[in-house]
Amino acid sequence: MASTAASLRLPSPPLSAPAAAASFSSATTLRFPLRRRGAARPLAVAAFKKLSEASPVPIPPESAQPPLDEEALPPKPGVYGVYDAAGELQFVGISRNVRASVEGHRRKVPADLCASVKVSVADEETPDRAVLTNAWKSWMEEHIESTGKAPPGNVAGNNTWVGAPQRPPDLRLTPGRHVQLTVPLEQLIDRLVKENKVVAFIKGSRSAPQCGFSQRVVGILEAHGVDFVTVDVLDEEHNHGLRETLKTYSNWPTFPQLFVGGELVGGCDIISSMAEKGELSALFQK
Amino acid sequence: MMASRGTGAVLSRAARMRQKLQSALEASALEIEDVSYQHAGHAAVKDNANETHFNIKVVSPKFEGQNLVKRHRMVYNLLSDELNSGLHAISIVAKTPKEFGS
Repeated sequence: MASTAASLRLPSPPLSAPAAAASFSSATTLRFPLRRRGAARPLAVAAFKKLSEASPVPIPPESAQPPLDEEALPPKPGVYGVYDAAGELQFVGISRNVRASVEGHRRKVPADLCASVKVSVADEETPDRAVLTNAWKSWMEEHIESTGKAPPGNVAGNNTWVGAPQRPPDLRLTPGRHVQLTVPLEQLIDRLVKENKVVAFIKGSRSAPQCGFSQRVVGILEAHGVDFVTVDVLDEEHNHGLRETLKTYSNWPTFPQLFVGGELVGGCDIISSMAEKGELSALFQK
Repeated sequence: MMASRGTGAVLSRAARMRQKLQSALEASALEIEDVSYQHAGHAAVKDNANETHFNIKVVSPKFEGQNLVKRHRMVYNLLSDELNSGLHAISIVAKTPKEFGS
């Protein structure tokens, strides 16, 4: 089971998984493998609506007030298909949080490709990955049977929908250990957090955090569509001495640490709790 | 407490943390959970390390009027000796009695 899951590249929420070409079956040009893997699970698929049975819901512009209600676009696991303004199916995806994923598409994808969405949520709160994958497969097959082609966004090489987002690289405090610093590290930190609105000091790189807490903070910020930069406190070549100096600078002994407008907001617990209470958006609008 | 001293046992980190937080914060509720086992494969946890990761829930009147950063700093400051001697990370829930009651 584990190996099956590992070989499937699905756009896990919030769209953070860049599709790796290596994982595709060579027999298909689609973004997800359609190859049957052992016994399918027809029961799991039966729990979802068919693509043709789901009714389309218009996707409002990002700034729309009130936002689309959660009944129509639920923050739940499921399968969804996004239609363009002409009513053509553009992309079929699965997500642990359909609402967040569709909002992510809306931010990333041109508005005329994101006009409406069909959704079918899972019966369970935490469905097995295979259940979602099967739902995705059956929607894809249904569409291909009726139109003879896959949705353009699901074709390999099309990075409109699930391609790696344009992420700024991890910032480095120094050019390298061999370079003699002319200003104290503390001053470099100070400048960095004041020149960048949102800075996350994390363990590991943005694309591969080395610590669960850092990973969670990166995930929350990306889910909120926050424009932020990261600094890897484990990068001994470029950020040597950063961990100890930052602990003193911020008077905070652990990582990750999030700064907004030059001020420490907190670590993973505080960010998680603010996200749960819906306080994060306000913070980033300041 | 006397008993453990009497037998010469060294207090566990969890017990020391409990003492420090309880007395300084006058906590009306205090839960300390050792979750180090969840981080056993963690890069920063060296071979023999145990008692490295904890979840702490603490309710204290001293958090009144303090924002989350300040509350967490209070806890961190009380545990600075531990953080300097192998305590790697703590997850903190810090509430006032009023917030806890609601």
